[in-house]
Formats: sequence, C-alpha cells, structure tokens
Amino acid sequence: MTVFLLALDLLLATPGQPGMEEHLAAGARAFREGRYESALVEFRVAQALGATDAAGYAAASLVKLGRAEEAVEAFAVAHESSDDALLGYYRAIACYDARLYLCGDRLLGEVGERAGPRIAEQARKTRAAIASELSREPSRASVDWYLARCAERRADGRPVLAGAYCDEAVALAGKRGDRYRLAEAAAQRAALPAASGPR
Amino acid sequence: MTGLLLALALAAGDPCAPLPPLAGAPDPAAAGAYRKVADEERRAGAIETAALAYREALARDPSDQASRLALDALCRERGAAAPFQRGLEEMEAGDLGAAARSFEDARAAGAGASAALLEGVCRYELGEDDQARERLREAREDPTHHEAADLYLGFLALREGDGDAAALAFDAAGHDPRLSTLAAPLSRLARRTGRLVLAALVASGWDSNAQLAPSGTPIDTSNDGQLDAAASALYRPLGESGPFLSGRGLFHQQLRFGDLDSWGLAGAAGWQLRRGRRALWAEYGYEYRTLGGSPFLSAHGLRAAGWAPAGPFTLSASYFVRFESYQGTLYQPFSGTYQGGEPSASALLSPRMRLLLGYRLSRDGVGLPQLSFVEHGPHARLGIDVPPRARLFVEAGVSWRGYDALDPQLALTRSDTYLDGAVALEWDLSARTFLRASIEARRAWSNAAAFTYFRLAPTVGLGWVAGL
Repeated sequence: MTVFLLALDLLLATPGQPGMEEHLAAGARAFREGRYESALVEFRVAQALGATDAAGYAAASLVKLGRAEEAVEAFAVAHESSDDALLGYYRAIACYDARLYLCGDRLLGEVGERAGPRIAEQARKTRAAIASELSREPSRASVDWYLARCAERRADGRPVLAGAYCDEAVALAGKRGDRYRLAEAAAQRAALPAASGPR
Repeated sequence: MTGLLLALALAAGDPCAPLPPLAGAPDPAAAGAYRKVADEERRAGAIETAALAYREALARDPSDQASRLALDALCRERGAAAPFQRGLEEMEAGDLGAAARSFEDARAAGAGASAALLEGVCRYELGEDDQARERLREAREDPTHHEAADLYLGFLALREGDGDAAALAFDAAGHDPRLSTLAAPLSRLARRTGRLVLAALVASGWDSNAQLAPSGTPIDTSNDGQLDAAASALYRPLGESGPFLSGRGLFHQQLRFGDLDSWGLAGAAGWQLRRGRRALWAEYGYEYRTLGGSPFLSAHGLRAAGWAPAGPFTLSASYFVRFESYQGTLYQPFSGTYQGGEPSASALLSPRMRLLLGYRLSRDGVGLPQLSFVEHGPHARLGIDVPPRARLFVEAGVSWRGYDALDPQLALTRSDTYLDGAVALEWDLSARTFLRASIEARRAWSNAAAFTYFRLAPTVGLGWVAGL
C-alpha cells in the first residue's frame, strides 16, 4: 500500500484542474483508512475533474469493495502508469475474483517482485491456487459456464466483460483434448471488441 | 459523553445521518460532481456508495433537491437492508435460528434473492427442510444464485434419500467453476444413494498370518491368500430420517486353510431421527456365521449412535450390546454378552481432509472369567479427498485388553496390547464402481507368548454401489 500512496503523492504534484488534487488526496486518505466507499467516490470525482490516473485507483477501490466485474471494466479503461505493479496486482485480483482465472494468472505473473515482497508472496500463493485449480483438464461444464457468462454480459451491454469471459472460454476449451466448443468460443470472441492489454 | 462520541462516530460513517450545517458558501459545481458519481453508483446498484456521494453533494449544496430526494429514497432502501446485514452477522456468529428470522425480515422488506438463498441455507442447516426448499427455489430464479441454490437443493435431496434428484442438482451446481470441485464428488455420492442402496465388493488379497500364529513362527507356515465377496442392501423408505432395514451377506475363502473359510448373513431394522446436522439412530440386528463349513456364531443385539455439531467439531457417541452364542465344543465357552461404546470428535482440517479422534471401550462377558475381558484405547482416522476421483483413508489405533482372571492353562492372567494401522485408497472408475486397495497391519503383544503376533494383509477389490 505504501507504493500505492507514494504513487498518489507523485500524482498530487502534477498540475491539473483545481480541486482535483484534494479529491485524490481525500480518496487516498479514505483508502488508507479502509473506507473504500468514500475512496471510490473521491477518486471518481477526481476522475470526472480530469485526473485520468484516478481511474486505476477507483478500480482498486472497487476490488476492495468486492465489485470484481466492475473493477475489471474500470481497469480496462484506466490509464495507469506502466510501472505501477501494485495496481497490476489489484487488476489481477479483480480478474481472479470475477472467476477470470487465466487472466488473473497472467497478470500476477507480470507483477513479480516489483510490488514488494509482501505482495509478491501473495501473488505467488494466488498463482499456486490457480495452478491447482487448472491442473486438470477443464470440464465441459466450465467451458459452458464461461460461454454463457460471455453471452449474458454481451446482452447486458458490457462488451469488455463479455470479451474477458469469452477469452477464458477460448483458453479453457483449448486445454481440452476434444477442443470442446473452441470454434464457437473463438467466433463469439471475434465478434467482440479486442481485449486491451494488461496495462 | 461516551454516548455522544459514539453517536458522532456512528453518524460520521452513516450517510443517512442528519447533515451538519454548511460551513461556507454553497458550491453547486462540486455538488454536481458528487451527484454525477452518485447517480452512476446508484445505477450500478451500489446503494451505500451512492448514498455517501449524495450526502457529499448535499454537504456542499444543501439546496440540491435532486440529491436530497435520491438520498431519502436510498436511505429508505437501506432501512430494508438492515435485517439482511443483521442476518449475516448472526450467521457468522453461528446463531442460525436468529439469522433465518432476520433474512425472512429482509425478504419481507424487499431484499430479494440473496436473502432467500441465505435463509434457505440456514433453514437447511436447522433441518427445516420444507421451508429451506421453498427459499432455495426462490433464490434459484436469480441467475446470480442459480448454482449455489442448486448445491443446497442437492443436499436436501440427499437428505431425503432421492439420489437421482440430488445428482441432477449437483451436476447443475457444478456449472459454476467455483463449485465444480465440490459438486463433482457430491454428484458421484448422490448416484450411490437413494431410498434403496445396493452394494457389492469382491476382493482378493494375502494375509501374512492368517492363523494368527505366534511371532517366531516361520512366515510360510501361516500366510495364505484369500477371496472375499460381500453384498449389502439398505432400504430407507422415508430417506435419511425415518425407519430403515438393512441386510448383508459375506463369503470368505482361504486358499490354504479351509478351516477358516466362512460365510455369513446379517440383517437389522432400525430408525434414524435426523434434524439438520444432528442425528440419533438405533437398530436391532441378527447375525449368523459359519466357520470351516460348520455353524459358528448366532448373535443378536442392539446398536445406537448419535452425533451433533459443536463449533467446528462434530461430536459422536455410539453403543452396542450383542448376545453371542458360539457353536461347537471349541468355541462354546466364548458365548456371552459383548458390549462397547465410543465417544468421538471429528473436524475438517481443510475442505478435503477430515480427522476423527475416538476412544473405544468394550467388555466381553462370557461364562469363564479367564476368557472375559475389558478392552479400551484411542484411535484416529484421517479421510482425504484426492481430486478428481479418489479417496484415501489412514487409520491407526492402540488398545489394551485385560482379562478378568487367571487362566489355568496359561498359568497367568492374560494381558494384551494391540497396535493397529490401515491405509485404504478408493478410486472411482465410474459413477457406481470403484477400485479399492488396502493394507491392514496389527502388532499384538501379550504376556502369553502364544498370543504375540504380527499380521499384514494387503487386498485389492472391485466395488459397486447404486442408489435406487
């Protein structure tokens, strides 16, 4: 969290619209005190006032509030700095909590040691848990579930999430010997917007 | 003073508390920024965050009527959510009765499918099955809770002995990847249960000391191969709670020592009372066995057991009494009353590992005091689910047996100590068949040298279980 607040301190030093800094500072204070609803509100207000980097912090607050799917979407449009490993970690946890295990694993792999020893250890444990879950051939029911979730989210008008679930379905179907519904998953994925990179 | 500070502290975190007076001039622009965030949060269904943002908007511009109206509406919704939160806290504290009532209040206040799901779970745990089913079916209508509701509907069907319905529900629950690891073995279990459960096992193995020959005897004088077959049936017309009938038959053949061949039949009738995670059962049974082609044992008796949760543990107790009548001159002196009991406690060490610790006490009272004994000792059993389709059991125990009186033939009062160990692995081949491999070992020490021995018995078998 120190890295997170340090990054925020640096943000506060950058020029921007009047009022933006105080909302970022209020959000950081609330985040540090565990008042994640307040942190989210302040980061969102800062974002509305032009602090583009506040989007990543708002997304991290969503992770803390257990709103994983919204966090996945928020991170997808955030423009956080490329070397902010802690936000990368939060983004990975958003994927994990949204059951996007392969996405979570990929992002955790990129976090490495850059986020400090405590977060790196957490990342290792989470990756081990994911590896354990994915060590077997995925069941047909799992592929069905991700494809259904992809269709539901597309119908809800949430293409970023739909794409993420379809990506997961494609990857899981590809891990099966019979490539169950792989072509269908790939076709559904192709019809959605391209995935944004981890950053 | 403390009360005032507490009230202030609570108000500070409560977006529905009265607003403090505005310190400076109103700032409609800042209020507008908060209101915009609040509107987005409200659309996302985040009542708490939306209320907080509307409050911030009003704190900067008390004349912001849109924020005031929205905050009033949210605070009314929030009032409806209070019993849900209370239910969560009561559930966390283990007060399931109170939690069920709170979730019921929350449903009445419009809390919806989440409250229905949690009330269903509480009622299932409390053994209020009809109400649980109603709530779980209600929760199932919400796609978010579909699979979790199916999981508990499966548990309910299992409890009622409806294996087919349980298997279907567990299969449906397994569509959620987070539940699939849990649901898959439950589905297999469900296919092996029902109102009528039939089972059969054929096994073959080797026994290093079939005749329990004293230590020091050359091993090839007593080791032998064997073939076992067993079949059983259990009929529970009303499911897990209610009357039951059971029967079993067994056949045992040694490859060398034909005098140890045996077959047997047994049957029992009883009643199980089950409510939630608590149960009591009792049965009366009869057993007949042969040995070496001759009548060997005729026995009848009672058995009873019960278990109940206590925090993270399940506490159990059991008792049996058996009136045994051995046939033939050699075994007739062993006829008498054999009884015993065992308190035990078990707990989950991890989601896939359960440990049971128990202490057994038994008494065999026969006509001759030198053949009557008391035996007691602790034992432990570890059960491990090995994904995707295996189970491992490890068991160990030690017991001490003391006889009542001096044995004139041995010229001592016999006293034995037994150390037992067993490992068994069951591997599911299909929904109803499994392979079983096991090794049992016993080391016996006695103050009578003839009763000191060691025995090791590995076996491999094929089993079949079906629920109808």
